[in-house]
Amino acid sequence: MFTMFFTFIKVGLFSFGGGYSILAMLQQEIVTNHNWLSAEEFADIIAISQMTPGPIAINAATFIGYESYGIIGSILCTFGVIFPSLLIMLILTKTYLTLQTKPWFQYSFNNLRLLSVGLIAAAMVLIGKSSFPDLFSVGVFIAAFYVGYRWKVSPIYMLLGAAGVGMIFG
Amino acid sequence: MLLWQLFLSFVKIGAFTLGGGLAMIPIMRKEVCEKHKWINELDFIDGIAAAQSAPGPIAINIGVYVGYRIAGIRGMLVAVFGSVLPSFISIIFIAAFLYNYAELVLVQKAFHALKPAVISLIAIPMIDMSKKVGLTLKNSWIPIIGLILVAFLNISPMYVIIVTIAFGIIAAYVKKRKAKD
Repeated sequence: MFTMFFTFIKVGLFSFGGGYSILAMLQQEIVTNHNWLSAEEFADIIAISQMTPGPIAINAATFIGYESYGIIGSILCTFGVIFPSLLIMLILTKTYLTLQTKPWFQYSFNNLRLLSVGLIAAAMVLIGKSSFPDLFSVGVFIAAFYVGYRWKVSPIYMLLGAAGVGMIFG
Repeated sequence: MLLWQLFLSFVKIGAFTLGGGLAMIPIMRKEVCEKHKWINELDFIDGIAAAQSAPGPIAINIGVYVGYRIAGIRGMLVAVFGSVLPSFISIIFIAAFLYNYAELVLVQKAFHALKPAVISLIAIPMIDMSKKVGLTLKNSWIPIIGLILVAFLNISPMYVIIVTIAFGIIAAYVKKRKAKD
Protein backbone atom coordinates (compact mmCIF):
# COMPACT_ATOMS: atom_id res chain seq x y z
CA MET A 1 0.00 0.00 0.00
CA PHE A 2 2.83 2.39 0.79
CA THR A 3 4.49 1.55 -2.51
CA MET A 4 1.25 2.68 -4.13
CA PHE A 5 1.19 5.87 -2.04
CA PHE A 6 4.76 6.73 -3.05
CA THR A 7 4.02 5.91 -6.67
CA PHE A 8 1.22 8.47 -6.64
CA ILE A 9 3.48 11.06 -5.00
CA LYS A 10 5.97 10.41 -7.79
CA VAL A 11 3.26 10.84 -10.41
CA GLY A 12 2.11 14.10 -8.80
CA LEU A 13 5.67 15.36 -8.61
CA PHE A 14 6.84 14.60 -12.13
CA SER A 15 3.80 15.18 -14.30
CA PHE A 16 3.82 18.61 -15.86
CA GLY A 17 1.08 20.12 -17.97
CA GLY A 18 -2.00 18.71 -16.28
CA GLY A 19 -4.43 15.82 -16.69
CA TYR A 20 -3.27 14.06 -19.81
CA SER A 21 0.43 13.96 -19.01
CA ILE A 22 -0.55 12.56 -15.61
CA LEU A 23 -2.57 9.81 -17.29
CA ALA A 24 0.38 8.81 -19.45
CA MET A 25 2.57 8.59 -16.38
CA LEU A 26 -0.04 6.66 -14.38
CA GLN A 27 -0.33 4.14 -17.18
CA GLN A 28 3.44 3.70 -17.14
CA GLU A 29 3.58 3.19 -13.36
CA ILE A 30 0.36 1.26 -12.72
CA VAL A 31 0.15 -0.98 -15.76
CA THR A 32 3.71 -1.36 -17.06
CA ASN A 33 5.92 -1.08 -13.96
CA HIS A 34 3.77 -2.48 -11.15
CA ASN A 35 1.07 -4.55 -12.89
CA TRP A 36 -1.56 -3.34 -10.41
CA LEU A 37 -4.12 -3.20 -13.22
CA SER A 38 -4.38 -4.65 -16.71
CA ALA A 39 -4.37 -2.28 -19.70
CA GLU A 40 -8.13 -2.86 -20.17
CA GLU A 41 -8.99 -2.17 -16.53
CA PHE A 42 -6.91 0.99 -16.76
CA ALA A 43 -8.74 2.11 -19.92
CA ASP A 44 -12.10 1.52 -18.18
CA ILE A 45 -11.04 3.61 -15.21
CA ILE A 46 -9.91 6.46 -17.45
CA ALA A 47 -13.21 6.42 -19.33
CA ILE A 48 -15.08 6.71 -16.03
CA SER A 49 -12.71 9.43 -14.78
CA GLN A 50 -13.43 11.52 -17.83
CA MET A 51 -17.16 11.20 -17.34
CA THR A 52 -17.34 12.11 -13.67
CA PRO A 53 -17.04 15.53 -12.08
CA GLY A 54 -13.63 16.70 -10.92
CA PRO A 55 -10.04 16.65 -12.17
CA ILE A 56 -9.34 13.47 -14.20
CA ALA A 57 -6.11 12.73 -12.32
CA ILE A 58 -7.88 12.88 -8.95
CA ASN A 59 -10.70 10.66 -10.20
CA ALA A 60 -8.25 8.09 -11.54
CA ALA A 61 -6.21 8.11 -8.32
CA THR A 62 -9.33 7.67 -6.17
CA PHE A 63 -10.57 4.83 -8.37
CA ILE A 64 -7.27 2.93 -8.52
CA GLY A 65 -6.78 3.29 -4.76
CA TYR A 66 -10.30 2.03 -4.07
CA GLU A 67 -9.92 -0.95 -6.39
CA SER A 68 -6.78 -2.06 -4.58
CA TYR A 69 -7.28 -1.17 -0.91
CA GLY A 70 -10.79 0.23 -0.42
CA ILE A 71 -11.58 3.62 1.08
CA ILE A 72 -8.22 3.92 2.89
CA GLY A 73 -6.42 3.20 -0.39
CA SER A 74 -8.44 5.82 -2.24
CA ILE A 75 -7.69 8.47 0.39
CA LEU A 76 -3.97 7.66 0.31
CA CYS A 77 -3.70 7.69 -3.49
CA THR A 78 -5.67 10.93 -3.83
CA PHE A 79 -3.57 12.56 -1.13
CA GLY A 80 -0.40 11.24 -2.77
CA VAL A 81 -1.16 12.79 -6.14
CA ILE A 82 -2.12 16.13 -4.55
CA PHE A 83 0.70 16.41 -2.01
CA PRO A 84 3.53 17.60 -4.33
CA SER A 85 1.13 20.14 -5.88
CA LEU A 86 0.29 21.57 -2.48
CA LEU A 87 3.93 22.13 -1.56
CA ILE A 88 5.25 23.35 -4.92
CA MET A 89 2.28 25.61 -5.68
CA LEU A 90 2.45 27.08 -2.18
CA ILE A 91 6.09 28.02 -2.76
CA LEU A 92 5.27 29.43 -6.21
CA THR A 93 2.35 31.46 -4.86
CA LYS A 94 4.46 32.89 -2.04
CA THR A 95 7.26 33.76 -4.48
CA TYR A 96 4.74 35.40 -6.78
CA LEU A 97 3.32 37.51 -3.96
CA THR A 98 6.79 38.74 -2.89
CA LEU A 99 8.07 39.46 -6.39
CA GLN A 100 4.83 41.02 -7.64
CA THR A 101 6.09 44.59 -7.20
CA LYS A 102 9.43 44.15 -9.04
CA PRO A 103 9.48 45.78 -12.50
CA TRP A 104 11.18 42.86 -14.29
CA PHE A 105 8.61 40.52 -12.82
CA GLN A 106 5.72 42.65 -14.00
CA TYR A 107 7.29 42.75 -17.41
CA SER A 108 7.44 38.95 -17.52
CA PHE A 109 3.89 38.57 -16.32
CA ASN A 110 2.50 40.92 -18.94
CA ASN A 111 3.76 38.48 -21.54
CA LEU A 112 2.77 35.50 -19.43
CA ARG A 113 -0.82 36.72 -19.26
CA LEU A 114 -0.95 36.93 -23.04
CA LEU A 115 0.58 33.47 -23.20
CA SER A 116 -2.08 32.16 -20.79
CA VAL A 117 -4.76 32.96 -23.33
CA GLY A 118 -2.86 30.86 -25.88
CA LEU A 119 -2.42 28.02 -23.40
CA ILE A 120 -6.14 27.95 -22.67
CA ALA A 121 -6.77 27.86 -26.41
CA ALA A 122 -4.33 24.95 -26.61
CA ALA A 123 -6.22 23.10 -23.87
CA MET A 124 -9.42 23.68 -25.83
CA VAL A 125 -7.88 22.13 -28.93
CA LEU A 126 -6.58 19.14 -26.97
CA ILE A 127 -9.85 18.52 -25.10
CA GLY A 128 -11.83 19.30 -28.26
CA LYS A 129 -10.15 16.67 -30.42
CA SER A 130 -12.70 14.02 -29.45
CA SER A 131 -15.63 16.37 -28.81
CA PHE A 132 -16.99 16.81 -32.32
CA PRO A 133 -17.83 13.47 -33.90
CA ASP A 134 -20.99 14.74 -35.67
CA LEU A 135 -23.19 17.73 -36.55
CA PHE A 136 -25.15 17.40 -33.32
CA SER A 137 -22.00 18.22 -31.32
CA VAL A 138 -21.28 21.24 -33.52
CA GLY A 139 -24.87 22.42 -32.99
CA VAL A 140 -24.59 22.06 -29.21
CA PHE A 141 -21.28 23.94 -29.28
CA ILE A 142 -22.78 26.88 -31.20
CA ALA A 143 -25.94 26.95 -29.08
CA ALA A 144 -23.98 26.78 -25.82
CA PHE A 145 -21.64 29.51 -27.01
CA TYR A 146 -24.51 31.79 -27.98
CA VAL A 147 -26.41 31.22 -24.74
CA GLY A 148 -23.29 31.74 -22.63
CA TYR A 149 -21.86 34.73 -24.46
CA ARG A 150 -25.03 36.65 -25.24
CA TRP A 151 -27.25 35.81 -22.32
CA LYS A 152 -24.43 35.31 -19.82
CA VAL A 153 -25.98 32.06 -18.61
CA SER A 154 -24.02 30.69 -15.66
CA PRO A 155 -21.64 27.79 -16.51
CA ILE A 156 -23.47 25.50 -14.09
CA TYR A 157 -26.88 25.99 -15.74
CA MET A 158 -25.26 25.61 -19.12
CA LEU A 159 -23.79 22.22 -18.16
CA LEU A 160 -27.07 21.03 -16.64
CA GLY A 161 -28.89 22.20 -19.78
CA ALA A 162 -26.41 20.44 -22.05
CA ALA A 163 -26.72 17.21 -20.07
CA GLY A 164 -30.50 17.39 -20.41
CA VAL A 165 -30.37 18.12 -24.14
CA GLY A 166 -27.94 15.23 -24.59
CA MET A 167 -30.12 12.77 -22.70
CA ILE A 168 -33.16 13.65 -24.81
CA PHE A 169 -31.68 14.24 -28.27
CA GLY A 170 -28.09 12.91 -28.10
CA MET B 1 -17.51 32.33 7.66
CA LEU B 2 -15.08 33.17 4.84
CA LEU B 3 -13.58 29.68 5.05
CA TRP B 4 -17.02 28.06 4.94
CA GLN B 5 -18.01 30.18 1.94
CA LEU B 6 -14.70 29.29 0.27
CA PHE B 7 -15.33 25.60 0.95
CA LEU B 8 -18.84 25.73 -0.55
CA SER B 9 -17.57 27.57 -3.63
CA PHE B 10 -14.87 24.99 -4.24
CA VAL B 11 -17.25 22.08 -3.74
CA LYS B 12 -19.38 23.67 -6.45
CA ILE B 13 -16.30 24.18 -8.64
CA GLY B 14 -15.24 20.55 -8.15
CA ALA B 15 -18.71 19.21 -8.85
CA PHE B 16 -19.05 21.03 -12.16
CA THR B 17 -15.59 20.41 -13.58
CA LEU B 18 -16.13 17.97 -16.44
CA GLY B 19 -13.35 16.88 -18.75
CA GLY B 20 -10.17 17.96 -17.03
CA GLY B 21 -8.47 20.73 -15.12
CA LEU B 22 -8.87 23.72 -17.41
CA ALA B 23 -12.62 23.09 -17.67
CA MET B 24 -12.58 24.39 -14.10
CA ILE B 25 -11.62 27.90 -15.19
CA PRO B 26 -15.05 29.23 -16.24
CA ILE B 27 -16.79 28.12 -13.04
CA MET B 28 -13.92 29.17 -10.80
CA ARG B 29 -13.73 32.57 -12.47
CA LYS B 30 -17.46 33.03 -11.99
CA GLU B 31 -17.30 32.10 -8.29
CA VAL B 32 -14.00 33.71 -7.31
CA CYS B 33 -13.81 36.84 -9.50
CA GLU B 34 -17.40 37.73 -10.32
CA LYS B 35 -19.65 36.46 -7.56
CA HIS B 36 -17.52 36.84 -4.42
CA LYS B 37 -14.87 39.23 -5.84
CA TRP B 38 -12.17 37.52 -3.76
CA ILE B 39 -9.42 38.25 -6.28
CA ASN B 40 -9.32 40.38 -9.44
CA GLU B 41 -9.25 38.97 -12.92
CA LEU B 42 -5.60 39.73 -13.74
CA ASP B 43 -4.42 38.03 -10.55
CA PHE B 44 -6.57 35.06 -11.49
CA ILE B 45 -4.97 34.88 -14.94
CA ASP B 46 -1.50 34.99 -13.31
CA GLY B 47 -2.61 32.04 -11.20
CA ILE B 48 -3.53 30.05 -14.30
CA ALA B 49 -0.04 30.62 -15.71
CA ALA B 50 1.59 29.68 -12.40
CA ALA B 51 -0.61 26.57 -12.09
CA GLN B 52 0.53 25.32 -15.48
CA SER B 53 4.19 25.74 -14.63
CA ALA B 54 3.96 23.51 -11.52
CA PRO B 55 3.65 19.71 -11.58
CA GLY B 56 0.43 17.94 -10.68
CA PRO B 57 -3.24 18.43 -11.56
CA ILE B 58 -3.83 22.00 -12.82
CA ALA B 59 -7.17 22.23 -11.02
CA ILE B 60 -5.47 21.52 -7.69
CA ASN B 61 -2.69 24.01 -8.46
CA ILE B 62 -5.16 26.80 -9.21
CA GLY B 63 -7.05 25.86 -6.03
CA VAL B 64 -3.85 26.25 -3.98
CA TYR B 65 -3.12 29.66 -5.52
CA VAL B 66 -6.63 31.04 -5.14
CA GLY B 67 -7.20 29.54 -1.67
CA TYR B 68 -3.88 30.82 -0.36
CA ARG B 69 -4.42 34.32 -1.71
CA ILE B 70 -7.86 34.52 -0.15
CA ALA B 71 -7.22 33.03 3.28
CA GLY B 72 -3.61 31.81 3.69
CA ILE B 73 -2.67 28.20 4.42
CA ARG B 74 -6.11 27.39 5.82
CA GLY B 75 -7.75 28.85 2.74
CA MET B 76 -5.51 26.70 0.57
CA LEU B 77 -6.41 23.51 2.45
CA VAL B 78 -10.12 24.31 2.44
CA ALA B 79 -10.12 25.11 -1.30
CA VAL B 80 -8.26 21.94 -2.26
CA PHE B 81 -10.31 19.72 0.06
CA GLY B 82 -13.54 21.25 -1.26
CA SER B 83 -12.63 20.80 -4.90
CA VAL B 84 -11.58 17.17 -4.40
CA LEU B 85 -14.61 16.12 -2.35
CA PRO B 86 -17.19 15.81 -5.19
CA SER B 87 -14.69 13.76 -7.26
CA PHE B 88 -13.96 11.53 -4.35
CA ILE B 89 -17.59 10.85 -3.44
CA SER B 90 -18.76 10.25 -7.00
CA ILE B 91 -15.84 7.91 -7.79
CA ILE B 92 -16.30 5.85 -4.62
CA PHE B 93 -20.00 5.55 -5.40
CA ILE B 94 -19.33 4.45 -8.98
CA ALA B 95 -16.53 2.05 -7.99
CA ALA B 96 -18.74 0.46 -5.34
CA PHE B 97 -22.14 0.30 -7.05
CA LEU B 98 -22.03 1.37 -10.67
CA TYR B 99 -18.98 -0.06 -12.32
CA ASN B 100 -20.60 0.03 -15.78
CA TYR B 101 -21.40 3.76 -15.37
CA ALA B 102 -19.46 4.80 -18.49
CA GLU B 103 -21.43 2.31 -20.62
CA LEU B 104 -24.85 3.55 -19.51
CA VAL B 105 -26.78 4.87 -22.51
CA LEU B 106 -28.09 7.90 -20.66
CA VAL B 107 -24.60 8.88 -19.48
CA GLN B 108 -23.18 8.50 -22.97
CA LYS B 109 -26.00 10.57 -24.41
CA ALA B 110 -25.49 13.30 -21.82
CA PHE B 111 -21.76 13.43 -22.61
CA HIS B 112 -22.47 13.60 -26.33
CA ALA B 113 -23.77 17.13 -25.62
CA LEU B 114 -21.61 17.91 -22.58
CA LYS B 115 -18.29 17.52 -24.40
CA PRO B 116 -18.92 20.28 -26.99
CA ALA B 117 -20.64 22.43 -24.32
CA VAL B 118 -17.46 22.30 -22.19
CA ILE B 119 -15.46 23.63 -25.15
CA SER B 120 -17.70 26.67 -25.54
CA LEU B 121 -17.65 27.06 -21.77
CA ILE B 122 -13.88 27.50 -21.96
CA ALA B 123 -14.08 29.69 -25.07
CA ILE B 124 -16.30 32.35 -23.47
CA PRO B 125 -14.01 33.43 -20.59
CA MET B 126 -11.07 33.19 -22.99
CA ILE B 127 -12.61 35.98 -25.07
CA ASP B 128 -13.16 38.15 -21.99
CA MET B 129 -9.64 37.38 -20.78
CA SER B 130 -8.02 38.37 -24.05
CA LYS B 131 -9.64 41.81 -23.63
CA LYS B 132 -8.51 42.07 -20.00
CA VAL B 133 -4.87 41.21 -20.73
CA GLY B 134 -4.71 43.79 -23.54
CA LEU B 135 -4.45 41.46 -26.52
CA THR B 136 -3.84 43.40 -29.75
CA LEU B 137 -2.91 42.46 -33.30
CA LYS B 138 0.68 43.45 -32.54
CA ASN B 139 1.16 41.18 -29.53
CA SER B 140 -1.09 38.34 -30.66
CA TRP B 141 1.97 36.36 -31.78
CA ILE B 142 2.62 35.43 -28.14
CA PRO B 143 -0.60 33.44 -27.56
CA ILE B 144 -0.57 32.11 -31.13
CA ILE B 145 2.95 30.68 -30.79
CA GLY B 146 2.00 29.28 -27.38
CA LEU B 147 -1.05 27.61 -28.88
CA ILE B 148 0.93 26.04 -31.73
CA LEU B 149 3.74 24.79 -29.47
CA VAL B 150 1.44 23.20 -26.91
CA ALA B 151 -1.52 21.99 -28.96
CA PHE B 152 0.19 20.90 -32.17
CA LEU B 153 3.83 20.24 -31.30
CA ASN B 154 3.05 18.63 -27.91
CA ILE B 155 5.51 20.77 -25.98
CA SER B 156 4.82 20.98 -22.23
CA PRO B 157 3.31 24.35 -21.17
CA MET B 158 5.95 24.47 -18.43
CA TYR B 159 8.79 25.01 -20.94
CA VAL B 160 6.85 27.66 -22.83
CA ILE B 161 6.18 29.50 -19.56
CA ILE B 162 9.82 29.32 -18.42
CA VAL B 163 11.05 30.70 -21.76
CA THR B 164 8.48 33.51 -21.58
CA ILE B 165 9.62 34.48 -18.08
CA ALA B 166 13.29 34.37 -19.18
CA PHE B 167 12.56 36.66 -22.11
CA GLY B 168 10.70 39.05 -19.82
CA ILE B 169 13.70 39.28 -17.51
CA ILE B 170 16.11 39.87 -20.40
CA ALA B 171 13.82 42.47 -21.97
CA ALA B 172 13.44 44.34 -18.66
CA TYR B 173 17.25 44.28 -18.21
CA VAL B 174 17.90 45.60 -21.72
CA LYS B 175 15.38 48.37 -21.16
CA LYS B 176 17.11 49.35 -17.92
CA ARG B 177 20.51 49.45 -19.64
CA LYS B 178 19.13 51.60 -22.43
CA ALA B 179 17.57 53.99 -19.94
CA LYS B 180 21.00 54.37 -18.29
CA ASP B 181 22.77 55.18 -21.57
